[in-house]
Amino acid sequence: MKAFEYATAHSTDSARQLVADKGAYIAGGNDLLGLLKEYLVEANILVNIKSLPGMNKIEHARSHWTIGALVTVAQIENDADIKKHFPGLREAAADVASQQIRNVATVGGNLAQHSRCWYFRHRDTQCLKKNGDLCFARNGENRYHSLFTGNTCISPVVSSLATIFAALDATAIVLREGKEIRLSMAEFYQRAWENPLSHNSLGQGDLIVRVEIPTARPRSAFMQVSDKHAFDWALVSCAAAAEVVDGKLKSPRVALGSISNVPHQVETANQFLDGKVLDDATATHAADLILKDAKPLEHNGYKVPMAHALIRRTLLKLKGDA
Amino acid sequence: MPSWPAETKYISQSTPRVDGEAKVTGRARYSSDIQAEGWLYGMILRAKWPSAKISSVNLDKALAVPGIKAAVVVRDGAFTIRYYGEEIAAVAGTSKQACLDALRVIEVTADVHHEFVVNESEARKENSPRVWENSPNAPTNPHVRENGKVDDAFAECAAVIEGFYSTAVQIHHPMETMGNTVSWTDDGLKAWSSTQGISSVRDGFAGALKLDHSKVRVITDYMGGGFGAKFGAGAEGVLAAKLSQAAKAPVRLMLTRFDQALAVGNRPSSFQKIKLGAKADGTLLAFDAENYGTAGIGAGGDGGGGGGGADIPMPYLYKVANTRVKQSAVAVNAGASRAFRAPGNPPASYGMESALDDLAVKMGMDPVELRLKNDPNPIRQREYKLGAEKFGWQAKYKKPGSSAGVVKTGVGCAAGAWPAGGASRNTQGEAQINPDGSIEFRLGVQDIGTGTRTVIAVVAAEILQLKPAQITVRVGDTNFPPGPGSGGSTTCPSISPTVFDICNKALEQLQTQSGIADARGENWFTACKKLGVNPLVVHGQWQQGLSADHACGVQFAEVEVDTETGFVSVKKIMGVHDCGLIVNQLTLESQINGGIIMGMGYALYEERVMDDLSGVVLNPNFETYKLPGIGDVPEIEIVLINMPERGVIGIGEPATVPTAAAIANAVANAIGVRVFSLPITPAKVLAALGKAPPATA
Repeated sequence: MKAFEYATAHSTDSARQLVADKGAYIAGGNDLLGLLKEYLVEANILVNIKSLPGMNKIEHARSHWTIGALVTVAQIENDADIKKHFPGLREAAADVASQQIRNVATVGGNLAQHSRCWYFRHRDTQCLKKNGDLCFARNGENRYHSLFTGNTCISPVVSSLATIFAALDATAIVLREGKEIRLSMAEFYQRAWENPLSHNSLGQGDLIVRVEIPTARPRSAFMQVSDKHAFDWALVSCAAAAEVVDGKLKSPRVALGSISNVPHQVETANQFLDGKVLDDATATHAADLILKDAKPLEHNGYKVPMAHALIRRTLLKLKGDA
Repeated sequence: MPSWPAETKYISQSTPRVDGEAKVTGRARYSSDIQAEGWLYGMILRAKWPSAKISSVNLDKALAVPGIKAAVVVRDGAFTIRYYGEEIAAVAGTSKQACLDALRVIEVTADVHHEFVVNESEARKENSPRVWENSPNAPTNPHVRENGKVDDAFAECAAVIEGFYSTAVQIHHPMETMGNTVSWTDDGLKAWSSTQGISSVRDGFAGALKLDHSKVRVITDYMGGGFGAKFGAGAEGVLAAKLSQAAKAPVRLMLTRFDQALAVGNRPSSFQKIKLGAKADGTLLAFDAENYGTAGIGAGGDGGGGGGGADIPMPYLYKVANTRVKQSAVAVNAGASRAFRAPGNPPASYGMESALDDLAVKMGMDPVELRLKNDPNPIRQREYKLGAEKFGWQAKYKKPGSSAGVVKTGVGCAAGAWPAGGASRNTQGEAQINPDGSIEFRLGVQDIGTGTRTVIAVVAAEILQLKPAQITVRVGDTNFPPGPGSGGSTTCPSISPTVFDICNKALEQLQTQSGIADARGENWFTACKKLGVNPLVVHGQWQQGLSADHACGVQFAEVEVDTETGFVSVKKIMGVHDCGLIVNQLTLESQINGGIIMGMGYALYEERVMDDLSGVVLNPNFETYKLPGIGDVPEIEIVLINMPERGVIGIGEPATVPTAAAIANAVANAIGVRVFSLPITPAKVLAALGKAPPATA
């Protein structure tokens, strides 16, 4: 990696000033260090944000919970209240990487992480995502790639937390130019949908400070399938959340990871599910709607039946014991 | 003829590794831990292209990087690059970062070729770009071996199956990467090597650098796995030596994990088109197979490749009266093959054992019955019967695809063999017996991780009637009497008879010198004391009659397959194995556990992925080159047949041979269709079930 300076910020203002035009924030560093080592990202300064006050807390309010951007994935996994109120969030956290990584990985870092596309990550392929001329994956080895994209790049979003946050209709609060802006998960990744050079909608200097999760959906679930049992990226992940009133879904939302460059959400499916009693036929129809426009490539067609199964299973988990 | 004792206290029992504590506390120093006085880091610059002609390499800017003490090119003049990752130059410096910075400023003038081929089937086409200019990638007339009348015999078969079974290139990824610390001065060359063959590494350095063997010393106290990749000095060793000479300092050059994925050899792929037929009673009658596989650039000619090692034994363990086998290696622009744990056998077992199961299904025969009918080996006959009973085969084996529900269970079995595994007959060693009763064994063998020190201690303790903890064992130094390379499962059958011989010679001399008729056990210290002031040093060598070769082995697998997601979960593997006289059961079981886990990786996860467009290895890391983790490892049950009458036989290789085939057969049994290629990923399971839609984008 290239040489850089290192500084610790004690306020968001000083963090922003230190990072300036060419710096990068560092918290857990899982993704950033890999990017720096492979010369995929350059930074003249790393600004340690782990000491920013108040950002490592999980706080409860009646209408929503607040999860600080510095909360670790392990904190979420081990929080008994999260398990009770947002079971899908705990499941998503528990499926992230390995225990050692979860111990240091933060919510902010998980959301902001860059593409895992093996062409993007390879030091000697100059792909579209690195300002090259073409997407190698499109006609190449695309077994891990997207079924949906808004541009030519087919590298999928892999953040498990983004998937469950989308289902929970959570909002990321980002500090931009000294002001807080509120981004839905769709908005948080919108630029990746449009532009192959982007992994998300964050600009230079933008700092994720917290995520707010509405309490409107007490039932939630998350499932993923990987090649291996553990410590492996999802081939497809799925999250669903809703309230169940008199056996019927209220405000249901479904989101999928690893099949699109944004958390894949289909509003017509959410609307279809609203007010329904969950059964196999309902879940199947929702899965059909969600995957209707999938465009499989040579090697990722398997993701269609896999996603279909996961949508059905994740939805049916919302029934719980009731 | 000497013979092993009939009653044993340590042999065939379980002694914990004598160096276990040193390993788990970090006290054991592996080759990559060595910090020689004044040492420098070394790193290698590798080709960024799969094919190119390099006309010049300018190291000036690299040498100007602060901290850089030396830089060398792999060879003078122009040279050709034939695969992505081939070595170009190397640097040595005071920090890893200095080396990385230096590699980035080396100026390489190259004519980059846009014509290359990394895909086996493409490379076989007549108009394919050539890996070697003067010969086609695959021979135009592959060797054909035929016995009997194959075409006529198929007409007589009651049942015939055909299948195209393929296996992926498996990359060598021992936990410790390849590498050495090398110090080369006017006095000679000293290398601390991560190797499975200190003698072959010494010879390699001597040959490459034109040094007397007596001027080269190789030391390997502890090393982290080799599996066939670590017999030679290697390009990385020779570069470290040249850097050391140029920098006048020891250079530690351990490959990075990225390097390891490119250029250290691998298991060749295989593409096996098999046609198999049997009589109505199940007797195999006809076998017709065509196989090709790639050993990377290691095929095709220019004198560099040779056969390349892509051939496999077919029809493997079975004698089929009418057999035709056509095989060829195909060259591609990718890293060459190298010996890999039981070379040729795991792919052969996968192809043939899969075909056998497909035939059994077609004939409505029990797969174990079909094997008992055809396997000529009496030991495997025993193992099938014993294993089937312990595994509960009869109750568990159901019609393929017949288990209820979305997640289906299945069982499978498969066989393996390792025809080699005998001794290296010139193995020697010595022991020094001190007047205080302490005893030190010195053998020029190395511990590849299998527990070599423990084996020596166990055999010595048995013969001398001492405790293993009383035996000091020194290995891993070419200054000791020569020992075998640790490959081909030869270490244990080489050193056990050698230690036996040393012990008996020591007792003989000690008894003569001390006048004590039996110096063993409780008399040991009294006898040693009578040596006076001078220790007794005795030399011994391998003796005939205490070891053998050709281990067998069968394995049974039980799996669950989710037919909606394609996910395969191995629930249980039972390994039924023999290796003659069991020396130390605990480390033997470790070998079988490791072999089965490695076989699982071969079955379900491991695959070198090459990119057709850029020619790079796309998965040069543990993120996407997937190895089994602890969460993937199933219940493993080991059933051993101890056969002291055969003498000592190695187990390292046979343990891994049948695993992939057994798992593949269990998957086919679970879902009712065959996945014809390894690794069996969820994607392939869903495709085999006809569930994956075609490309539309």
